[in-house]
Amino acid sequence: MSLRLLCLCWAGSLMTTTKSISKIGIYAGSGTSHSWLWFVDLFENNGLHNLSFLNESNVQKGLDDLDVLVISGGDTFAVAESLGASGADSIYKFVHRGGLYIGSCAGAYLPMNSSKKPLDLFNFVDVKITNLSKVLPATVKNSFKFCTSYGCGFIFHPIREEVSLKFSNNALPFCPLTFNAPLYGGPGMTVTDPSLVLATYNSFTTNTSFLVSEALAGEILLEKAAVVRVPVGKGLFYLFGPHLEHPKFPIANQFVSDVINWENRRSKNFGSSVPISDKSITPFRKLSGMTKKTFVMDIKRELSNSRIVALNLEFLPLRWMIGKKIYEPEKIRVFLESMWSRIKFLERIDRLHIFSNDMETIKTTSISLTQGLRKLKRAVDENQDSLAEATEIFSQLKQLSMAFYTMYFLTLTHKG
Amino acid sequence: MEYLSTEKILIIDLASSIVEEEELEESLVSEKIGGVGVTKYLYEKFENDDPIVIGCGLLTGTTYPASASGIITAKSPVTGKLAHCPITYKVGVEIKFSGFDYIVIKGSAASPSYLWIHDGVADICDAVDIWGKDVWKSTEFLRELVGDDLLQTIMIGPAGEKQSDYAQVCYNHWNSPDRFGFGTAFGAKNLKGLAFRGMGLIECADVEDYVSRSLEILKEVKNNDFLSKKGIAELAKAIGEEDLTDWLAPITHRHSADYFTPYATVTALFMDEDPKIVEETKVAEPGVLTTDIFALIALKKAGFSAEDAGRLLRATAKYGIDPLAVIELSGKTSLDECSEAFDSLSGNLALKGKGIFSSWCPARPIFNDFGLSGEDSEAIAWWERRQAVAGIFGIQPLFALMCPELSEENMLELASLGTELDLDQDVLDAVVAYVCD
Repeated sequence: MSLRLLCLCWAGSLMTTTKSISKIGIYAGSGTSHSWLWFVDLFENNGLHNLSFLNESNVQKGLDDLDVLVISGGDTFAVAESLGASGADSIYKFVHRGGLYIGSCAGAYLPMNSSKKPLDLFNFVDVKITNLSKVLPATVKNSFKFCTSYGCGFIFHPIREEVSLKFSNNALPFCPLTFNAPLYGGPGMTVTDPSLVLATYNSFTTNTSFLVSEALAGEILLEKAAVVRVPVGKGLFYLFGPHLEHPKFPIANQFVSDVINWENRRSKNFGSSVPISDKSITPFRKLSGMTKKTFVMDIKRELSNSRIVALNLEFLPLRWMIGKKIYEPEKIRVFLESMWSRIKFLERIDRLHIFSNDMETIKTTSISLTQGLRKLKRAVDENQDSLAEATEIFSQLKQLSMAFYTMYFLTLTHKG
Repeated sequence: MEYLSTEKILIIDLASSIVEEEELEESLVSEKIGGVGVTKYLYEKFENDDPIVIGCGLLTGTTYPASASGIITAKSPVTGKLAHCPITYKVGVEIKFSGFDYIVIKGSAASPSYLWIHDGVADICDAVDIWGKDVWKSTEFLRELVGDDLLQTIMIGPAGEKQSDYAQVCYNHWNSPDRFGFGTAFGAKNLKGLAFRGMGLIECADVEDYVSRSLEILKEVKNNDFLSKKGIAELAKAIGEEDLTDWLAPITHRHSADYFTPYATVTALFMDEDPKIVEETKVAEPGVLTTDIFALIALKKAGFSAEDAGRLLRATAKYGIDPLAVIELSGKTSLDECSEAFDSLSGNLALKGKGIFSSWCPARPIFNDFGLSGEDSEAIAWWERRQAVAGIFGIQPLFALMCPELSEENMLELASLGTELDLDQDVLDAVVAYVCD
């Protein structure tokens, strides 16, 4: 799928300006988990509909038409490996010319200075990780999600779930004093210049799940940076340890939205993305009447077939190690339900806007996803290894979701 | 119709393979309430297409006690008249969750087909892989095909395919209340069956009051002493027909209930596994589930051992034929002889009342007397009304005969709370009269 510009009709919120609206690219390619879907919800809910969905190839070709690049959770090593040197170069040039990079969890680790390959391709910011150790501390529970090897040492995760963040006094004007967000493997951070720190880990909550002793978790995280804002060239790196985009944390979501709008308003360089010439914009199709109805029904059919099998998989004791990341069956339905929740809208509207290649991708991938899930279920029922099937399924889920959301936001922005 | 409903009526023409949807209009619910009130209306609307209409009660799948059932309405190949068969176990509920309140099946398919109804999608599928297979293998095949162990089916076996008299539609693996030969009607349409699965939610106008009143009614229901009992043998004893308790006890494995139904009307008999086994059995076909009181009574009276009775029930469930018809009309008294008589049944089973509701359900109160005098004519009139009301609201039809606390008044109250419609006794009386006409 090529990187495409989606037109926009945005009716502004807190930070409405007359400047052009930010063009946001969400990386959904290799190495990502499901958390980029949370950004999709966040942006939709906050009227930021000018979205593109990028795989590694799109990033490698350059990010000239973007104002914001978002990389969320997943496997940092796999993301770095997939993007490679040309992807790193694209990101470097993007930020230097004034782009805003938002990295959450794995996306936060990615641009930090590192000596480890292939992370060393992305040595963009001098931020240090506090949850890095040569010797692995004792875990108290949930050990399978506790750590990732990192050269001769380990990145380990002292807690999971909710944590309270406190904003610095000199933080952005719209920042709340404190708010909560979930941490699922993201970093604690230190920087040499304290003015770069927007928020620190303030305290644990009753919903915090400790993977090491509370005392050690406090030592690793509390008062360490949770959100940093690092200027590089004409642009900025915003790095979030916790998932501020998680849908159950609306105050954190609002902060992310406000960051984009605020940076959009204040930066001379924002909006300096290069508009795609008319000739290079892939023409899209408008589907209406029976063609549109049949196409939406075809999507609905396969999403339904897939979510039925996926639900069944959740009753089974399954887990797959894909790259350095553990995937449970529940994550399959996160993708499916995310698309499913938008089907009614697609059924209701009169006209769909879609790129021809996305139409084909949606048709073929949705069918092969159903077949793949059913094959996986049969393999599991017969006590066979299912890693290959699961790996393929997660890849197809991303492919399908990217095409689906491109269609969805293209339609949304042309709706009225 | 926004509430207690999926808002949709599915119309399937098997002859043309055209699938259409109609909105379930609020005015239709206001007039016919739901369940058998609407299935009869739809049957009449499409009567020229010889339809089979499948539907759910207005309260089906909610927190109202025993709101478990759906209904099949069609012309009975046995009686030649319009008849209604309850859909039990957890199949009725799944119909609503799969995205449709009512399904009208018109015409005949050019080749054997089945319907896959899921999340508001209806697919007409080629039945080439299951036509010729028995009910159990067909259900297992579809569950494996779609990767869903909880798939719910309405299925015919070889009896229905051959359009034998008293061919029965079965639910999942098990015999159903079908005494009308609806399996034959399915077979005549080249329709192997329907598979349902859905993860839909039902909207309720006043959720808090609906749930709160449901729980109050459930609390009243639980004051009944009969809820200390379980299973089919207790039902047979309660209606004074035959004491099956000692006969069945050596092969009784467990009892289970339909969706949200406080009495376990389903009994599992183990003929080929130790009935006392607690862990999951490794035997592929250890026994059979049954809800057919009168078939068991007939088998005992005919001199069958409980084990052989279980085996015959299992064979009828697989073949998709009414077990009571087999034992009463074949004149045979051994397992082997009965099994050979599946395709050669002739004659009539006794009907109850006007013959529009299934005689699978005893025509008298169970455990409670409901204030009846004991006269047969009074009991029959009461039973017919009670079956109609259960069919309209989607109440498990056996439990409706046990429990006076499930009153017409509180069903109407919950229906009004759930829909914001003004459904009163006059409306219900009119619908009951319409259904029983």
